[in-house]
Amino acid sequence: MRILQLVSIAVILGAWEAVARAGWVDPLFVPAPSAVAYAFAKVAASAFAGLGDTLAKTAIAYVLSVVLGVAGGVLLGSVRPVRQAVNPFVIALYGMPKILVLPWIVLMLGFGTLPAVVYGTIHGVFPILVLVTGAVRDVDRSLLTVARAFGARRWQLYWKVVLPAIVPTVLVGMRLGLVFCLLGVLIVEMFAGVRGMGHVMSSLANGFQAPELFAATALVSAASIVIVLSLDALNDRLSHWRGDVR
Amino acid sequence: MRVALIRVALVAVLLGIWELIGRTANPLLYVPPSAAVPALGRLLRLESYPDLGEHLLLTVREIVVAYAMAIAAGLGCGFALGLNRLVGRAYGPILAALYAVPAVVWYPSLMLFFGLDAASKIAFGFLLGFFPITLAVLAGIRQVNTQLVTVARAFGASGLTVFRKVMLPSMLFTLVGGLRTGLALTVIGVIVGEVLGSKAGMGSLINHAYGLFRTADYVALVLVTLVLIVGSDAIATLVEHRAQRWTE
Repeated sequence: MRILQLVSIAVILGAWEAVARAGWVDPLFVPAPSAVAYAFAKVAASAFAGLGDTLAKTAIAYVLSVVLGVAGGVLLGSVRPVRQAVNPFVIALYGMPKILVLPWIVLMLGFGTLPAVVYGTIHGVFPILVLVTGAVRDVDRSLLTVARAFGARRWQLYWKVVLPAIVPTVLVGMRLGLVFCLLGVLIVEMFAGVRGMGHVMSSLANGFQAPELFAATALVSAASIVIVLSLDALNDRLSHWRGDVR
Repeated sequence: MRVALIRVALVAVLLGIWELIGRTANPLLYVPPSAAVPALGRLLRLESYPDLGEHLLLTVREIVVAYAMAIAAGLGCGFALGLNRLVGRAYGPILAALYAVPAVVWYPSLMLFFGLDAASKIAFGFLLGFFPITLAVLAGIRQVNTQLVTVARAFGASGLTVFRKVMLPSMLFTLVGGLRTGLALTVIGVIVGEVLGSKAGMGSLINHAYGLFRTADYVALVLVTLVLIVGSDAIATLVEHRAQRWTE
């Protein structure tokens, strides 16, 4: 299976290289893989700096998303009147394309780190909030009743029953939220960035530097795949440790 | 009933706060509802943007073309991967890994390749819509009970009959859900593409109003675009309910 995957990737790259060398495509728009690899050496310095900047913003936005999403989800999930009043709005905001508020956020917060963090958080918080709300709402009633019957206090209910019950959902939300946060940060950097990977990529595109742009794109893609896969691996470890049956 | 009242009250309070802040703050940054409504009126009377209709139509056309392509490619790819075990096990993980990349990283390359016109927006909308449709087909095929397929085959059903009578009903629900997500993402892709760089379409108007600090017009344009988005989702919901009834 691995071999088939590797072979097909090699075939695609080889065919691409051949097509580009044969001159069937304009190298201005579709550079050969070898040219991309060569360009990578040239953009590596600025691309890695941009990537570091982007990932730092994403990390802040991500922490904010997880904290706000879990806290809000526990609140909405456990207080029924609040949930009934607010939940339709949360769902609507989750579904609404956030790109529509991007110009306003940039108007308000200017160029730089803050709009990227805010916009990344707006992207990341909703999936976590919606998932956690559902999980807290669906916590097994009998567990809560039993805990109460044994004299558990309110904080003990949350700490000992609700939180352990929602951990799997929180992890799913965290995986979704991470990609959304990165997406939000990159969009802001492309729209109104002065630093970061999104800015690097959009200036390469505007300068028609296709090989450099492809190299930068490959770098971000590889970075996000690695991050998500390692989060998945961590998740698997944790569910083994909890003894989940998968 | 009481819940509905609370919701209405909540909206009213939020609008009130927005109005209060908007009146005291810099009008370039905040637009109170009392100023947004007249701006919407001017926009709809074609005073602020006389060619609104053309831009709206272009955006709708881009969405339709991108979505049609996403459906065709998504269904094709999904069935090719789902019905063929070897192909599915080899390329499924690659597809899943690519799905983990925030799609917007592809946009600069698409813009470079397809230019600033409609083609790059269609390509990006297609790309965003393609993944959920493909993954829904894959998930749907996994839901099909293989015993039912075997029994149908044993009773002499042809491949097409098995597909129509056994597979389609059991995977339709997941499939339609994927098609709906695909539409929502295609719409987002087209609009994101237009905002990030274009010469025409709703996104370019939004960008224009933002660039000139015409904040009231910007809010009005956002409201019009929202109607487009909510409308497309409403159509998708209608289709989903139809499909649900058909399966039951």
